[in-house]
Amino acid sequence: MASERYSFSLTTFSPSGKLVQIEYALAAVAAGAASVGIKAANGVVLATEKKHRSILYEEHSVHKIEMITPKIGMVYSGMGPDYRLLVRQARKMAQQYWVTYQEQIPTAQLVQRVATLMQEYTQSGGVRPFGVSLLMCGWDEGRPYLFQCDPSGAYFAWKATAMGKNYINGKTFLEKRYNEDLELDDAVHTAILTLKEGFEGGMTEDNVEIGICNEQGFRRLSPAEVKDYLANIA
Amino acid sequence: MSILSYNGGCVLAMKGKGCVAIASDRRFGVQTSTLAMDFQRIFEMGPHLYVGLPGLATDTLTVHERLRFRLNLYELRESRKIKPQTFSAMVSNLLYERRFGPYFVEPVIAGLDPVTWEPFISAMDLIGCPNVPEDFVVAGTCAEQLFGMCEALWEPNLEPDSLFETISQALMNAFDRDAISGWGGIVHVIEKDKVTTRLLKTRMD
Amino acid sequence: MALFELCGIHSRSNFKTTEDDHFNGEMDSLNIIGNPTQLALPPLGCPNNKNLVDEHGREMKINYDHGTTTLGFKYQGGIVLAVDSRATGGQYIGSGSVKKIIEINDFLLGTMAGGAADCTYWERVLSKQCRLYELRNKERISVAAASKLLVNMVYNYKGMGLSMGVMIAGWDKKGPGLYYVDNDGTRTPGQVFSVGSGSLYAYGVLDSGYRHDLEDEEAYELGRRAIYHATYRDASSGGIIRVYHIKSTGWVKISEQDCTELHYQYEEAERGSK
Repeated sequence: MASERYSFSLTTFSPSGKLVQIEYALAAVAAGAASVGIKAANGVVLATEKKHRSILYEEHSVHKIEMITPKIGMVYSGMGPDYRLLVRQARKMAQQYWVTYQEQIPTAQLVQRVATLMQEYTQSGGVRPFGVSLLMCGWDEGRPYLFQCDPSGAYFAWKATAMGKNYINGKTFLEKRYNEDLELDDAVHTAILTLKEGFEGGMTEDNVEIGICNEQGFRRLSPAEVKDYLANIA
Repeated sequence: MSILSYNGGCVLAMKGKGCVAIASDRRFGVQTSTLAMDFQRIFEMGPHLYVGLPGLATDTLTVHERLRFRLNLYELRESRKIKPQTFSAMVSNLLYERRFGPYFVEPVIAGLDPVTWEPFISAMDLIGCPNVPEDFVVAGTCAEQLFGMCEALWEPNLEPDSLFETISQALMNAFDRDAISGWGGIVHVIEKDKVTTRLLKTRMD
Repeated sequence: MALFELCGIHSRSNFKTTEDDHFNGEMDSLNIIGNPTQLALPPLGCPNNKNLVDEHGREMKINYDHGTTTLGFKYQGGIVLAVDSRATGGQYIGSGSVKKIIEINDFLLGTMAGGAADCTYWERVLSKQCRLYELRNKERISVAAASKLLVNMVYNYKGMGLSMGVMIAGWDKKGPGLYYVDNDGTRTPGQVFSVGSGSLYAYGVLDSGYRHDLEDEEAYELGRRAIYHATYRDASSGGIIRVYHIKSTGWVKISEQDCTELHYQYEEAERGSK
């Protein structure tokens, strides 16, 4: 097949002007677990599904939602190991910024820098693009921010969005449910409902992870808090 | 004679009520020889942000240009005005990067926060150790004299007009006891909606 | 050698004693009263042409008054002397109102440049010697003799760190006299002198405006202007500009003006002429 000639380890343009490696990376994202982000009037929420292939799995030891700075959090859809590298780099970038300016990095700045890194992996030799899309949320200068960052290095600012498995349905759902003056609590509910759209099996505090960011900063909800939110939905 | 006092010159900054002032002399000389009386060592880095760079004149110019470069990139990248605190950190970093071959300038920064209008002043040594006090900062060849004058004249919550009077008196009486500062003075009073720049009539010896 | 006797200068050898005796130390300090031209020598000895050294052999720098502008010139009406009044220790301005023209007697003036202490001390000693000469000889000392007394005294301390560049000016039987004397032992008569860190600036004005047939007022203004321009360009000159005139009847103080006042006066005049 023609496309195979341009799909080895290098990211090389195909005659039609596509970078198929990036498209494959996006396919890896679309096949990954779903994650949702919603901006509310007084904060942002990130939520994601945590699939467990075995009941023997120890649920609350490895997390998908991570804090980058006290006011910025991040989640992904796609390949876990790639995400770990990005988390590490993002934290490093944030600290570097703090060292130079004695000021916390604004969310938009961090997103831009992480996106630059992801772009480098689409143009350098001997590497492949990241197999993840990121959702980054933050709070600065008195307002919430929500960004998505793709393997190509493209990034978008959202009011609400979904990624990963069933993301098209998720987005359609959000389009119907979203409104500008949502409170953070309501946004958490909406996020859970969005995840529920394509959820396989029952939602529990063990297979859903939620992070919120508001004026107080970013934090991951404890299983007990997640449980309370889930109970309110049913 | 130290290389820091090769060209002479001094800068000071003071906090007031909702305003800050920064002032300097205008002399440029080589040791005891006075070559110019219109030398600029205070630079406008933004609508409410000024930096004074007393010390070796060639480094005054270089450091100013390098700061402008970094500041322009910062403001383009972040599409917002820099905060005085952040700018102070930027200056400090620039200087410490040359820890073992420093620029011979002792910067003084004065400005208002672009969002809260909170007054800010800071000063640092030639390798960037920051000093962020609540009252005044001084630097240059007559720093001791300036400290003395500021300790005597400064008081909290000065209105812009009194702040101008205070900083001008402090400056002039300090550099009149220094052979290599003086020959004219310049004062900027920075307020929320205006910056007043005045030239001082001083002794010319 | 006659002058030597006159000044009471003995050999220096009996000055520094080898005995470490407190009483001898006291005598040393009393000696300055008995014979002002003999000063205590440094306890460690002072090698010729070297400054003081500390225990590690490093040169010790003493910051005393240095920068100055002084000038003097002869013209048809006598001699004009003009000086600034700034005293600096390093870059610090110790005083802005020093009297750098020393009134030796009614017919003799000395200017001061270099170490302030050296100049004042030795010119004071000179004034004493001049007075003694007058009492002994029933006539005033000549400017030539007075300046030679001074140069002989400082020559005894050559290479030991004295710092002075002075002009001795006065009126004697031969008319106006103007001599330059410094710590190297230089003594030279002349028409126009300027001494001190600002002297180059002063010469610039002086040389372009000097004529022997200047009127009195022109001469005062030339001296004043020359000093003013030196205070403007030279960081270690400034303060008050003093002008003296020496004529056959003795010296007269002409003016003492702050150079700031002069600066704005000259600036105004220049603006008016444009």
